[in-house]
Amino acid sequence: MAYADIAAFFPILLKGAVVTVQITLGALLLSTFLGLLLALMKRSPFAPISALASTFINVIRGLPIIVQLFYIYFVIPELGIDLSAFQASIIGLGIAYSAYQAENFRAGIEAIDSGQIEAAKSIGMKSALIMRRVVLPQAVRIALPPYGNTAVMILKDSSLASTITVAEMTRAGQLIAASTFQNTTVYTMVALMYLALSLPLIFGVNRLERFFSKSRQGANQ
Amino acid sequence: MIAIDHIHKAFGATQVLKGVSLEVAAGEVVCLIGPSGSGKSTVLRCINGLESYDSGAITIHGQTVDVRRSDIHALRTRVGMVFQRFNLFPHRTVLENVMEGPIFVKGEPRAEARQHAQSLLEKVGLAEKQAAYPTQLSGGQQQRVAIARALAMRPEAILFDEPTSALDPELVGDVLTVMRGLAAEGMTMVVVTHEMSFAKEVADRVCFLYGGQIVEEGPASRVLSEPQNARTQDFLRRVLDH
Repeated sequence: MAYADIAAFFPILLKGAVVTVQITLGALLLSTFLGLLLALMKRSPFAPISALASTFINVIRGLPIIVQLFYIYFVIPELGIDLSAFQASIIGLGIAYSAYQAENFRAGIEAIDSGQIEAAKSIGMKSALIMRRVVLPQAVRIALPPYGNTAVMILKDSSLASTITVAEMTRAGQLIAASTFQNTTVYTMVALMYLALSLPLIFGVNRLERFFSKSRQGANQ
Repeated sequence: MIAIDHIHKAFGATQVLKGVSLEVAAGEVVCLIGPSGSGKSTVLRCINGLESYDSGAITIHGQTVDVRRSDIHALRTRVGMVFQRFNLFPHRTVLENVMEGPIFVKGEPRAEARQHAQSLLEKVGLAEKQAAYPTQLSGGQQQRVAIARALAMRPEAILFDEPTSALDPELVGDVLTVMRGLAAEGMTMVVVTHEMSFAKEVADRVCFLYGGQIVEEGPASRVLSEPQNARTQDFLRRVLDH
């Protein structure tokens, strides 16, 4: 393992790492939005809407993420919608993880004691306001640890984008390794760089969790 | 002010209310007593539409209470409610709990809402707790915050659903003191309670419910001291003996 090799590989892998972070953030944002939407749809009193959400969640959870990525990258363009590999990876991971996010949010929402909702109604709050002021602020705190875990999983699974030609960190590593045969150096570097991204995220979530549990002081019963 | 006219209500196959009628005049304090399962909490929850009723009618100043109508929210701002388990918002401070309705439902300016909330907290004896979170308070303190939260909406009436049943005995007194104060100020109150001495002292009228019906009603002194109905006599004997 030569230092010269490390110095030469690092800028290439760093470029890949930037793409990895972009995919992760994009997919996290999309999965958060879609997950919240699905969680609210699933709680809808209107049966077709909740059934639609449940079906979507089950189908998505039942499919390997890599198959979803292939589907979006190879099949959707045949319908006349043009997607770059980068866009396809964000959409694919975002949709795949929206099902898990929906479950995170649903668990958070359902953990709120119904007495609080009745109290909110009793001061004249309408359901949208109850959601915004009473349920979601608390549900977010409850959903935060699983949400953080999901973020870490998205970061790691962004490596699947390498299979649809996105030059993220894993793909960059593969390319260097294939041309230099420095497998040990390259993949050790790749592994360490993933840890450099995921460990701060894990610690950050732990800290946030502690901060929230301090200001929340538990539920009132 | 509140008129309940022959309401019926069933939960599945169980008839919980079988034609309850009750009129509450402005400024009146009415206590609902009765064994558990008699329907007294359900009556209370129907008044502000937390529960729907199957037939009959409830009106507040002539306006019908109907859960499915869009005016139910505005109606609820006029009739406050205090719950057995307090139901404060645990993620907000005491002051924020009290200000929540005025600011976000009524659209009061923040400064005004704060001032009003602070004066209400002073009234219930908790001015110094305004920055605390609900779980840092005792049950009795939480219940007094809940009363302040209901008062913050400037309601015309307040419904109390067993407000002291979840409290340790030594904390009951402070809550009852606040309620006595409200009654003395002329607040219209409907109180589901097991506190017979409170009912005797504060209530203008006591209604005894049994099996989903009001089987006896009248001035507190008469119903509690000289009950006519055998069910009432039996219930009071049990409650007062324990």
